[in-house]
Amino acid sequence: MINAQSILKELLYCGITDIVGLPDNCSATLFALLNSKNEPKLRLVSREGEAFALASGLWIGGKKPIILIQNTGLLESGDSFRGTALRMRIPLLCLVTFRGYAKTKKHNENFHKKEKNHLYSQPSLDSVALFTEPTLKAWGLPFDFLSREEDTKKISSSIRLSEELGSPVVLLVTENMT
Amino acid sequence: MLSKEELVRSLVAARRNAVVVTTMSIVRTWGRYSNSDLDFASADSAMGHSADLALGIALAQPKRKVICLNGDGSMLMTLGSLATIVEARAENLILLIVQNETFEITGNQPIPAANRIDFSMLARGVGFKNCYNFDDVQRYEQTLDSILKQKGPTFLTVKVESGNEGPLSRGSTQEVAYLKPSLAESAHQLRETLLAERCF
Repeated sequence: MINAQSILKELLYCGITDIVGLPDNCSATLFALLNSKNEPKLRLVSREGEAFALASGLWIGGKKPIILIQNTGLLESGDSFRGTALRMRIPLLCLVTFRGYAKTKKHNENFHKKEKNHLYSQPSLDSVALFTEPTLKAWGLPFDFLSREEDTKKISSSIRLSEELGSPVVLLVTENMT
Repeated sequence: MLSKEELVRSLVAARRNAVVVTTMSIVRTWGRYSNSDLDFASADSAMGHSADLALGIALAQPKRKVICLNGDGSMLMTLGSLATIVEARAENLILLIVQNETFEITGNQPIPAANRIDFSMLARGVGFKNCYNFDDVQRYEQTLDSILKQKGPTFLTVKVESGNEGPLSRGSTQEVAYLKPSLAESAHQLRETLLAERCF
């Protein structure tokens, strides 16, 4: 479990002005917390692809936004991500909650096999988890994991990295927020 | 029905210090009449997401008007953005749909529901404060200035004739100035301009 309050504290410490995204079960607590605060501003979108363009616009306008979406939404956002934040060289932290992580971890030995098409339809697995890391690698996106309370420090180091690279970076949130 | 030139000429005159984001078939027409540091072509970018980008700029720059010239086909790709704009209460955003009813830059194939869709009704349905339809140049020219002064978000649909604009690209050989830099250079230049003007 990761404390949503700790994440918020770290985001405020880093000067984040806007959080753009869509809630899921993992991030629900953080969204509820943000709803009760004025800073950073919560910017809800109707679908995740909008988030990358909206965050890019916020950055162009002088703000310091981050993205907060689920890995399913990351897959939905492919062209938006490519055509806005990535192509515009915008420093942007993306907090991506990792649906299906626990189930996939149990099947780790199968996950790394070359021939895994049969896994995509297995009810015991969440196929989005199978696609998440390979997609980030294919897109050339630096990523790390936010799995424990102590990992919240990775937020500031990831933001620094995105600023150095002039590129989005991803933190995969593997545990529910409390 | 207006020509694209008629749509653009009046808007260039009325925009004052607004940021203008263009996309698809209106990109070059706008660039032929305007050469401002506050112009941004959403070209070589993400299809359908110009309104989202303009919304972000508008939220970051609440004291400045932001005008998005979106295509009708582009708007169809992200209709959910209409709800996002209303939820964000972007009072300084003007979303103008250039309705030619075709995907012009790929050869004028008709968009889905061409001739039937009423974009302004969709916008009104999700809660846009001000919605307008124009298919007559005289009324458009007479009312545009006062519309731009209103507290929004504001939504305009302008019916225009299809043309023959081909696919968009960027680079030094491009005809219009704001297509010469790369998308990244354009984005960073606009940010620098906005931060230098400090109109927050």
